[in-house]
Parts: sequence; C-alpha cells; structure tokens
Amino acid sequence: MSEHDRDPTPDAETETRNDEPLLEIEGLRTTFGTDSGTLVAVDGIDVTVRAGETVCLVGESGSGKTVAVESITRLVQSPPGRIEGTVRFKGQDLLSADEATIRSIRGHEIAHVFQNPQNALNHCYTVGWQLVEAIRVHEDVPEAAARARAIDLLDRVGIANASSRFDDYPHEFSGGQKQRIMIAMALVGDPDLLVADEPTTALDVTVQAQILDLFEELKTEFDMAVLFVTHDLGVVAEIADRIVVLYAGKVMERGTVLDIFERPGHPYTRALLECLPGRGNEISGIGGSLPEPTAPPDGCRFAPRCPHAIDACHRDGQPLETEIEPGHSVSCVFYREGRDSSVVSPEGPTGVSSDDADEEARSTDD
Amino acid sequence: MATEKTDKPDRFDEVDWTELAGTRRRDLSVNSLGMIATTLPLVALFAYDWRFVGEREATFGAVGLEADWSGIDFMFVFTLLLFCFYLVLPLYQHPRMTRYYWREFKRNRPAVVSLGWLLVVFVGGLLGPLVLNAPQQDVLAGHQPPVFLSIDAANVAQCLGEVRGGRCYGTWQYPLGTTRGGKGVFRTIVYGMTISTQIAFITTTIVAAIGVSVGTASAYAGGWVDELLMRFVDIVLSFPTLLMFLLILYIYGAGLGMFIFVFSLFAWGGTARYVRSKSLSVAEAAYIDASRLSGAGTYRVVRRHVVPNTASSIITQLTLLVPGFLLAEAQLAFLELGDSELPSWGQLISAGRSDLAFAPWIVLAPGIVLFLTILAFNFLGDALLDALDPQTEAETER
Amino acid sequence: MGLPRYVAARIVWAAVVSLVIVTITFVLMAAAPNPAIQEAATQAALEGGDPQEAVERERELRGLDEPLHVRYLDFLTGVYTLEWGWSEHRSQPVTEALSEGLYYTAQYSVPWTILTMLIGPLVGVYSAANMYSWKDHLATGFAFFGYAIPNFFFGIILLLLFGVWLDWIPVVYNTDVAVFSLENVRQLAIPVFVLVTGSIGAIMRVSRNESAEFRNADFMKTAKAKGVSPLRAYAYHVMRPTLVPLSTTLVGQLLAIFLGSSLLVEVVFGIPGLGRLTFDALVAQDTNLVLGSTLIFTFIAVIGNLLEDIVFTVLDPRISYDDR
Repeated sequence: MSEHDRDPTPDAETETRNDEPLLEIEGLRTTFGTDSGTLVAVDGIDVTVRAGETVCLVGESGSGKTVAVESITRLVQSPPGRIEGTVRFKGQDLLSADEATIRSIRGHEIAHVFQNPQNALNHCYTVGWQLVEAIRVHEDVPEAAARARAIDLLDRVGIANASSRFDDYPHEFSGGQKQRIMIAMALVGDPDLLVADEPTTALDVTVQAQILDLFEELKTEFDMAVLFVTHDLGVVAEIADRIVVLYAGKVMERGTVLDIFERPGHPYTRALLECLPGRGNEISGIGGSLPEPTAPPDGCRFAPRCPHAIDACHRDGQPLETEIEPGHSVSCVFYREGRDSSVVSPEGPTGVSSDDADEEARSTDD
Repeated sequence: MATEKTDKPDRFDEVDWTELAGTRRRDLSVNSLGMIATTLPLVALFAYDWRFVGEREATFGAVGLEADWSGIDFMFVFTLLLFCFYLVLPLYQHPRMTRYYWREFKRNRPAVVSLGWLLVVFVGGLLGPLVLNAPQQDVLAGHQPPVFLSIDAANVAQCLGEVRGGRCYGTWQYPLGTTRGGKGVFRTIVYGMTISTQIAFITTTIVAAIGVSVGTASAYAGGWVDELLMRFVDIVLSFPTLLMFLLILYIYGAGLGMFIFVFSLFAWGGTARYVRSKSLSVAEAAYIDASRLSGAGTYRVVRRHVVPNTASSIITQLTLLVPGFLLAEAQLAFLELGDSELPSWGQLISAGRSDLAFAPWIVLAPGIVLFLTILAFNFLGDALLDALDPQTEAETER
Repeated sequence: MGLPRYVAARIVWAAVVSLVIVTITFVLMAAAPNPAIQEAATQAALEGGDPQEAVERERELRGLDEPLHVRYLDFLTGVYTLEWGWSEHRSQPVTEALSEGLYYTAQYSVPWTILTMLIGPLVGVYSAANMYSWKDHLATGFAFFGYAIPNFFFGIILLLLFGVWLDWIPVVYNTDVAVFSLENVRQLAIPVFVLVTGSIGAIMRVSRNESAEFRNADFMKTAKAKGVSPLRAYAYHVMRPTLVPLSTTLVGQLLAIFLGSSLLVEVVFGIPGLGRLTFDALVAQDTNLVLGSTLIFTFIAVIGNLLEDIVFTVLDPRISYDDR
C-alpha cells in the first residue's frame, strides 16, 4: 500500500479556484524533548489550505492542534521543540527557510491570532504602540502613517473611538476587545493566511458570535485564507469550508463541512458530534482520556477509547486514510479493504456505501 | 492527601482529620514535650545564673567548670532546642517527605556542598570552643606563617618553626599562622564560627517569631489593624538598620547581644509581608473553611495550616537573610565598632590589614571563610527555593 | 485616584516615615546621658567645683531643662530647617561638613549606581535568554561571587593587588584631582568596581528570574508571530515588564548596600566622603555630626524609597492607584 493513499491532492472537480494550494503541510511532526522522554505533539499530519478558504482543525484539547499551527511559521520554541516534515507556503518551504525569511513572512503573509487575548498583548505598552510595532517591523513607514493605519484597523475591527483608545493600555480593554485588537494586529500586513488558534474560546458566548462574524467579514474583505483551530464543532459549522479532525497528533478524518456533519465516518468524529448540544451525548462526553503523548498506543490512537475497537485497531500504526467519497477521507481500519464500515456507522453513510468506499480505497491505492 | 500513593511529598498542608472530627483534647506532640522538657532546665539554669552567680563568676563554677554563659549563650541554646524539636525532629518523623526533599535538593550539587560547609561551620562553632582554648596573645609568636608557607625571617620576632634560607616556615601549632599579636588565626576563625552560628540562629528565630506573628495577626485581624501593621512594615522595610545600630552603638555602646537584637528587630518586614499574603490565600483555601466549620479556632488554623504552609518559604527567606547579618557583623568588627573582645572574622581581617603585604594569611583566611559562608547560605537559599516551591520546579538546575 | 494624587500621597507617606525615624532618633538621644554633660560634670569635679551644679548649668545651656515635648518640637524644627548644629570635631557647621562629604561620596556613587542599573538588568535578561548555557552559568557564577564576597575584603585584596603590587592605581586617595579627570577615574575605578560587583549580583538574579517568566509569556509569542526579531523582542517585550518587579527591589538593594558600603569602601580606600565622615564622627564622639549623618542617610533612604514607588507606578500601567 502506498504512502499516497492519503494523498490530499484535490480532485479536479472540487478544486477549481486555484491550482496550487496556498499552504501545504506534509508529514508535519513536532516533538518536544522532555525529562520523561520525547513528547510527540503532532505526529505526521497533512493539511492543505487553498487561497480564500477556511479550514478548521478540530479536536479535543491536547490533541496537538495548537502545536500543529504554531509549527507552520516555527513559533514553537526550539529547543525543546523539534519540527520535521514540510510546510510549503506559496511553494516555499518554511521549515528550511532562514530566520530572516521566516520573520518577514510572520505577521506579514501569515498572521496569527491566539487563544487567550488576556495575555497575548504586552501589559507594559499601549495597544497603539504594539500595533505600530507590528506595522513597522515589516514596512518602513513613518510613525504617523503607521498610526493612521493602526487606527483605521482598530476602527475596522470594531473598537469604538479608535483614535482616542489608541493610547490605552491592554488592561483597559475587555477580553473581546483585546481579541479584536489582536485581529487588527494580524491584519496589518494584509496577510494571505490567517491562523486563528481558538480565538473565541476564552470569550463570552455573545462575544464569540460577534468575533466569528468579524472573521467572516474580514475574510472576504481582505481575501484571506483562514486556518481555524477549535474544539467547538458549533463554531466549525458556522465558518468552515473544510474540516480536519485531529486526535492525539494524528488526522482522524477530513472532509467538507457537509461530509463531516452529515456523514461522519470515524468513530471519534461521531463521538465529537454527539457531544454537540441536542445530539444526546452532551453530558457524558467521550469516555476515557487522551493517550500519554510520550507513549502513544500502537494502532489507531483512538482505539483505547473506541467502542468499536477490534484487535486490528491496536496494531500496525494509525490506519492509512481511506477516501470514502471525493475529498472526504477517514483513518479507520473499518474502512480498509475487507472490513465492514457499517460497524462504525450503523445508520450507514448516506451517499456512499461501505463497499463503494472500499472500491474507492482500492482505486486510489493504485 | 496523605493517602496519595504517588511519590509526592506529604505537604505540610495536610488536614488534621482528628482535629476536624472534633476531638478537643490538647495533646502535646513529642516535639512540644521535648521542647518543654529541655527548656525548663535551661530557664532554671538561667535564673540560677542571673540570681545567684556573681557578675564575675562562671556559670558552672559550682561544679568546677570554667564555662561562663552570657545571655546570648542561653538564647543560643534555646534556639538550638527549637531547631532540634521543630525542624530536625519533624524531618525524622516524616521520612517520606524528608526523602523527597532530599532527592530534590541533592540534584543541586553546589547546594549540597554548601550545606556541607555550613555544617562544618556549625559543628566547628558548637564544639570548637570546647576542644580548643581561646586564642591567646603571645607577642613572641607574632606573624607566624601557616603550615607549608614561609615568611621572611626578618618579619618574625621569633620563628617557632624551621628557618631555612632566611625564611621562617609555619608549624602545626598554628596551622593558619598567627596575627601580629601572636593569636592563632585558625583558633580565632573557629571561635568566629561560634559567633557566626549564634548570630545565624538567634536572629533567624527572632525574625521568624516576629514576622509570623505580625503577618498572621495582620491577615486575620484585617481592617485597620491590618492597615496599621502593614504601614509599620513599610517603615521597618525602609529603615536604615545599620545606621540605627551605629546610633545606638554611639549613644549606649553595644555588644553582640545588642547587634543581634537591633538587626533582627528590623529584618522581619519581608517575612511579615509574605506571611500575611500567604495567610490570606490560605484562608481562602477550602480546607481552612473545613477547619473553621468544624470549630477550629483562629489559633488552631494559624498553628495547623498557616505556619506549616508558609514554613518552607520562611525558612528560605531566613536562609537568605543570614548572610546579611554575618556581613554586617563582619563590617562592624572590621571598623572596630563592634565588641573588641569578640574574636570574630571581621576583627581578624581588620587586625591583619596593616600587615597585608607580608602576612596576607591574616586577612585572607578569615576573608575566604566569610566569603564561603555567605556564598553557601546563598546557594542553599537558592536550592531551598527550588526544592520547596513547586512553582519553580523547572529551575532546579540553576 | 490619578497619578498626581497618588504621587502626592506617597510624598506624604515618605514624610511620615522620615518623621517616625527622626522621632526614634530623638527618643534614643533623649533617653541617653549626654556625653557633653558628663564631661562638664567631670570637668567641674576635676576643677574642684560642684559637679551637680555644672550639670545643671550645662543642661540649661543646652536647653535640656525644658519639658520633653518642647525639646522634641525644637528638635523637629531644627531637623527640618536644616539647622543641624556645629561639628566640634570638624569645626564647621554639620551641614557644611556633610555637603563636603557628599561631594566625594557622589563621585563614586553616581557611576556605581548608573553602572549597576545598566549592567544588572541587561546581564540578567541576557542570562535568561541563554538560560542554562555556559553564558548563563558564567553570569550566575559572577552574580553569586559578587554578592558573597564582602566588599571591604574584596577592596583590601584589590588594593593590595593593583595598588601595592602592580602599582596601577594610587594607594592613597587624592582629594586634589579634578572630578572629571583621568586621575580621578583611576583612583575611583577599583572602589566603583568593588561596589558594582557587590550590588549587581542580586539585581542580575532578580532580573534573570523575572525575565525567565516573561520570555515564555503569551505576548512573546505574539511578538514572534508579528515577525519581531529576538533581539527586539527581548529588548522591548521582556526587558520592560522585568523592570517592574525589579524596580521594587532595585532601590532597596542599592540603599541597603549604600550605607554599609560607603562606610567600608571609604574607610578602606581613604575617600573622605559621607561614610568616612560618619565613622570619624563616631570615633571622635561628635554628637551633632553623628546625628547629622544619621539624618542624611535616613533622608537618602526615604527619598530613594519614594522614587522607587513612583518609578514602579510609571513602569507598570496596570497598577491601580487605590491599591496601595
């Protein structure tokens, strides 16, 4: 079986907008050397983001989402972190690029918004100072021009009285406002890719919705692709074009929003979906907990918690991804050749029968 | 917490369930019993010394010993007892915790060496005066070099060792040589260890006592008492202690006792502030509520929870305070503003200063001992900071 | 409460602190027998007069027969109007003697303070940036050496080494050289070095440990994600927040060393500054001068603490003025 079983190369009919993906992550593996052995946070994942689309990385806390996206522009502290694989951005490999190049890309072409806006801004400087710094790190513009642009951006992300609040300190803003400021800071370089790492998690529910709306607006206005990390499937449903489900550093399933929500293939995805309000399982959650990242189990990472696990699930590494329909692939032994996928999806995936899925798998194997 | 099977230490903050169960018996622990049993004779002895023994007579004259104890000696023995019963004995009583701390602690090699050195100073200071006679003036034996070293025979009145090629060699009689007055440097250093040990023990006891009392009182009283006490701490903290000591010294004259008194009286500010903030956070903790609900009084809460919880940090703080006291004493002795009778390290440095060019050991030996002792306290404090504070666990290596 | 009111409140507080210390000084002085009176009594006895009468006369002369509160008020007025009396030992007004001393003390204290405040945080942050590397260990070793070696001992050794054996620096301090001259730099280099070595260690340790906390802070990740270079990130984003906790210890550390060090270093190096003045006054039993130097060191300490408080609030925008 070839490695390219999980080839994320887009099919011709699903990908018409752009030939070359904006961001191609292949075999990304990020490890941390710790006292108690090597901690594998991300274990060989592939993700592709095309210009203008929103891709969501979904998974529980601790599944390696954050490390994965922070590996893109090498934000991960290294050492102890160690990043392997390839990350191609507009055809350029970021993991082998020199420091100066990567710095010119950070905040300029690839911008980040982080999870916790409370501490993401330096408490000793005014927000204006920090915005202007972000602008002038990349462009040699006069102070006044940078200031004007920063105020414009603050205004755009919805900070009232932007010009008068320019010289306020972070602690004078609310959590939601800080996140807006962080978004404004991400926009200063007119980035092609915005990496948003759980940007709404630390916020109130009402504020969350506003921030998500803001993302939607800005995405079209600035013509950006967004790589959105979240553990909240409710958020995903609102904004995602495509979804990649991560568990314990491995990709479990990937597909479009419809694929994942309507026809989830992987038991883990199903479990996640069941935790959504109104799906019956929101209280009990998923039994068990994430495996130790220093000693991941052999076989499927989810097998120890999976209600359907059979012997085959516990050996031979994470199953290769099987494309069960165009652009929708699952990493589960039940979708492999000779297995009955109806075991894990009792109501049967609509559209594609398990046999078809095997057919599909076989055809892509060749 | 105590039932945890992990290798984690039994932190001091265990809830005492027998207490919570409402047993109101006030059983005295072995520690307190031992403390009382040993303190009473000490107090009796002190009373005897104060009441019946004349000013010029030795405390133990009645039993034929020459040892004469001053107030400082009594205080010192008292602090040693405290130290034994409330620090050393608990470590023995909780072997698992002790092992844990020791494991954490010994990862820091400099700190282990430091502890070893401080033990040498401690034992030397404790037993040295019992074994060695006090250094005596002997003008004829002035400027003898340390063993293995030599000095131009012209600088020595009478060479006690060999004279070879016009140079006088040192003897084992004075392993570290002698001063101008012929006092053995080694003996003076050993006697200086006693003084340093006394300073270290007595000051820390006083600082801890005042600091913990003021800190907890402030935290538990709250309101204007808290405000007032903390303002007072502000003053204490910004107080120029050395200056005040100089003033007192000038007006009244001052010996070691006054030194210890003044310096410990103005050093507890940091401890009080720390204990207060810690008490406030401990008071918020759930297990205090549990204790409170079961009717434990404030004293019990402080005694059982606040003090144990803050003990590790207080010990660390005190460890870092001691070198300051030792340095201050040495400085004053060097300036000859201290008690000139005391054979302290600073005095030795001062005594050797004029002869530095040809007899450097008189300055170097006590200087290096002082340096090593201060260094050891700092390393030790640093290591304790790491070993006792789980928050800084990541920094064990430094 | 805004910044101006906060500063005003701190100034008032500083005044209260100085008042408390001055009062303690007064109580100490008042409770003790005055050596001048003793002297008068002895004098009278030697000359065959009545010691008791002489004591009365002397007390009257010095205003000691007044009630305590009057003397206290007089004392306070004297202290705060800078009428600090006459130094018998120096045969000049105490304030004049002190300002002369201050002139020499400032010559090494100013470079010492500036160097400590510049080098300490810089090396500390550098140490944190290279944590656990050999550079960090070297800096840490130096820090420990610095605050463990007694200033006066270190001074004596260096004086012997550079002054006596190598003859690079003058052994005897020369008051005749101009302040800004190479000569002065040469004779003050070792005292300043000794003081900087002694005071820098604690500051290095504090800034290293504080900045260790900030170098992994979220805002450092933000800065990195913005494309800020590591140097700039450390210079701005780590250094600045480090200065906040540092400012609360810096002045205290320096002041704690200041009196002891100026006393010791001036005696060792023979600099006729404030410390030396204090020492001579103590030895010469010059009460007014002892009192004067006590007061000036007290005021320096109070003003230092006041500055520290104000700098702290300026550095940390988060501080609420009502908190303290």
